[in-house]
Amino acid sequence: MLQERVGQATVTVHVTVNGVPRPVTTVPNRTALELLREDLALTGAKEGCGTGDCGACTIVVDGRPVNGCLLLAPMLDGKTVLTVEGVARGGKLHPVQQAMVEMGGLQCGFCTPGFVVTAVNYLEQHPNPTEDEIRVAIAGNLCRCTGYSKIVDALLEAAKRMREGEGR
Amino acid sequence: MTELKVVGKPLPRIEGPEKVTGQTVYAADMQLPGMLHAKVLRCPYPHALIKRIDTSKAKAYPGVVAVVTAEDLPPADRDPSVRPHAVLVEGEAIFEGQAVAAVAAETAYIAEEALDLIEVEYEELPAVLDPEEAIKPGSPFTRRPLEEIDLSEIEGHVTVDISAADDAEAHRRSPNISNRLHFVRGNVEKGFEEADIIVEGRFDSKMAHQAYLEPQACVAHYDATGKLTIWTPTQGQFHQRNDIARILGLPHEKINLVGTEVGGGFGAKVAPLIQPLTALLSMKSGRPVKLVLTRREDLMNSVPAPRGIVQAKIGATKDGRLTAFKGRVIFDSGAFPAGTPVGATMMMAACYKFDHLDVEGIEVLTNKCGAGAYRAPGMPEVTFAIEQLVDEVCRQGGFDPIELRKKNVCREGDLMPNGRPWPKIGLYECLEALEQSELWQTRHQAKNGGKPRGIGVAIGAWPGGMQPASAMVKMNENGTIKVVVGSNDISGVNTSFNMIAAEELGVPMHMVTTITADTDTAPYAGLAAGSKTLYSGGKAVQAAAQDARRQIIAIASRELDANPEDLVIEDGVVFVPGTDKSISFQRIAGLTMGFGSRYAPVVGRGGEVIRNQAPGTTAQAVEVEVDPETGNVTVTRVAAAQDVGKAINRLSIIGQLEGGVTQCLGMGLTEEMIFDERGRMRNPVFLDYRLLTALDVPRIEAIIVEVPSPEGPFGARIAGEPSIIAASAAIANALRDATGLRFYEAPMTPERVLRRLREAGKAVRQPVALGEAAL
Repeated sequence: MLQERVGQATVTVHVTVNGVPRPVTTVPNRTALELLREDLALTGAKEGCGTGDCGACTIVVDGRPVNGCLLLAPMLDGKTVLTVEGVARGGKLHPVQQAMVEMGGLQCGFCTPGFVVTAVNYLEQHPNPTEDEIRVAIAGNLCRCTGYSKIVDALLEAAKRMREGEGR
Repeated sequence: MTELKVVGKPLPRIEGPEKVTGQTVYAADMQLPGMLHAKVLRCPYPHALIKRIDTSKAKAYPGVVAVVTAEDLPPADRDPSVRPHAVLVEGEAIFEGQAVAAVAAETAYIAEEALDLIEVEYEELPAVLDPEEAIKPGSPFTRRPLEEIDLSEIEGHVTVDISAADDAEAHRRSPNISNRLHFVRGNVEKGFEEADIIVEGRFDSKMAHQAYLEPQACVAHYDATGKLTIWTPTQGQFHQRNDIARILGLPHEKINLVGTEVGGGFGAKVAPLIQPLTALLSMKSGRPVKLVLTRREDLMNSVPAPRGIVQAKIGATKDGRLTAFKGRVIFDSGAFPAGTPVGATMMMAACYKFDHLDVEGIEVLTNKCGAGAYRAPGMPEVTFAIEQLVDEVCRQGGFDPIELRKKNVCREGDLMPNGRPWPKIGLYECLEALEQSELWQTRHQAKNGGKPRGIGVAIGAWPGGMQPASAMVKMNENGTIKVVVGSNDISGVNTSFNMIAAEELGVPMHMVTTITADTDTAPYAGLAAGSKTLYSGGKAVQAAAQDARRQIIAIASRELDANPEDLVIEDGVVFVPGTDKSISFQRIAGLTMGFGSRYAPVVGRGGEVIRNQAPGTTAQAVEVEVDPETGNVTVTRVAAAQDVGKAINRLSIIGQLEGGVTQCLGMGLTEEMIFDERGRMRNPVFLDYRLLTALDVPRIEAIIVEVPSPEGPFGARIAGEPSIIAASAAIANALRDATGLRFYEAPMTPERVLRRLREAGKAVRQPVALGEAAL
């Protein structure tokens, strides 16, 4: 049966997660999201749909935001991954996280890790975005609670703080 | 009242840092030692009898630990007519996707593979899919005739007086009707005779899904002592425990319900759904079991909002007085009753002072996924009808839409359709606030060139719920304060509780933390539904904090040798103004918790029963732009005023307002569960069941109106639900403004809008460029 075959065939994925090399021996039909959540117990990225529509599983792979649910685990081999767990450093929230908290950019919190990761990646590359540009950048992330404006406000504020040197 | 130091400010959520770092543990994130993973086998027919099930091959499959069917359910007082109790199909399946069997295995993959090894023989029965056909004589039955339907949960969810309803007649009707309410006032035909303007129409709001981002999830562990622990996102952990005790025949004290963080609920995480099944698998296997629905399963098999079809007629005099309303709403509730007519029937006609009215609400069962509660259940559907009719009266009579509503809306003392007077409400004040909004003040600037633009107005009201609640406020060893509640936080309410306790105790926010404890340890609270958690639970927290304060003052009074009345608390210090007599909370903690301490520890208790509703009301305006070439509707501006009595936390209130409005914009623009001729949902993925994105939702001008409620904490009234009521109707009215056409179906997708524009000859590039073949 399939599972037995899969169970016998394992693959070692050499991936660097949040700055730390993490070789993982796993089954090859896992998604990147499952590798992170189940093999590495990094449960910050969420599975909201499993079909790449909601963005709750967003991770950054080699500098690009991707849906972890659409990537097979072996495709992470040799890659560098940033997850929400790696955003805050030294016990201090990233300006994106700080602004999301302060300005009501989160409610139930389930989509929040995806927004944080998407936004951190975007703002590092686009330090001076307009509101419209931010809306395009987060259009792949669904939120059911906020209506988005508070998230947009938070990201505009975060961009400002990052420009003023609070970023890392 | 003295000046408020904490209450009324916009404060961030206390759990925010946990959420932005990904540390918050949702049920699907949990791992327990020895935990198994579950998958569910679902019925492939909308209506069928199960003739035979053989699970032997699945049970023998390596890695499978337990397989359950209805035969494995313990003897218990289950009522299969309600969704939570229909754990597994017992003989008759009544919607496609109903759970027939479930597997718990070492991995989710193994469980899924084992599903294919379960053999089921079905006998397909005629399916009932169209609610309007279902109530006609001779229609097949959705299921074999039922006994009485248990409405206890529904009545707990929304408290309206249904004594005025002549629902006895329902029992003489088709068994496909699960609920019927009827309210009459005056003589509606006479009311229409008095009218100079009469408009009517049939309006159809399609089934929508709460589409919380966190799919339904549960972890259950039935241990060797016979104790069942359930971790699940729930809006009402005591409510769920009570239900699960009955469903599985277990005593309440042997169940601990641990409400995990709710990744969006909006009504769909109130009643048990997958929890009893997960528990059953754990009872069978003796190991912890996790069941997480896929998005597809969740969209197809949870508890969405019903479809609402309204036939209604309204009359008005030529000077703008609404005289009569006659309306009937049919809710397609799918396979199980959801109780939607209980609130929505009365509220359909409740905002206006009609001398004559006749409103009827019918809940019809069909062989589709059973409906449940979705934020102000039924209200967007009925409001889509009545607010368009009121708008049409304005069009035909030449009335300003806000002025006409101000002239006709109910105020305190006016009668609701059930004959009871409205308590103090702020509907009129919401209209005044909307009138002052930037959107309304600049409405005439909107129409300058380009695509057609229009503005529409709609209003709504929701009575909200009531339920007793209790809370505990205790002092920690260092003088800080812990608030313990049993309600589940779905809205940021624990932050508001924190603020209430800080305010009452005279301490800064950072000295207080509020937690939701599990059902084993928390004081009782009702369900987080009907927008009542802050209204009722906040009152209990306030009382518990006042109780703790009295204890603190009593200790300080003896320690400082001062009269209790002379003592003041500020920033966690008790003092006598104008003297150097003072004692800190930290010192008091030391005096109450050490060896040989002289005083009892500070533990405040609050239990409250509120017996009057504090309805919430809203008035909203939406501006749209229509693309006459594609039929696409863009919402360009929104203003939404809501009376919340008192905004305990302004940031939280604005969040509730913007979120609710956005959900109803979705109902108006894109969100629709589409069913095929077999009752199967055709679009169970987020690509096709389309939620609005950051590109679709404009900034919302959220306006807080504060008409205090007599009983709520600091005058607060309900807040969560009213925001969702009005926007789909406002979009339709804005489309009428922009195009001159009425839109009778929601959502107003590009296809529907373009078709309507073409019928009226108002589409640009009529089927020339695309050609007829494109349609």
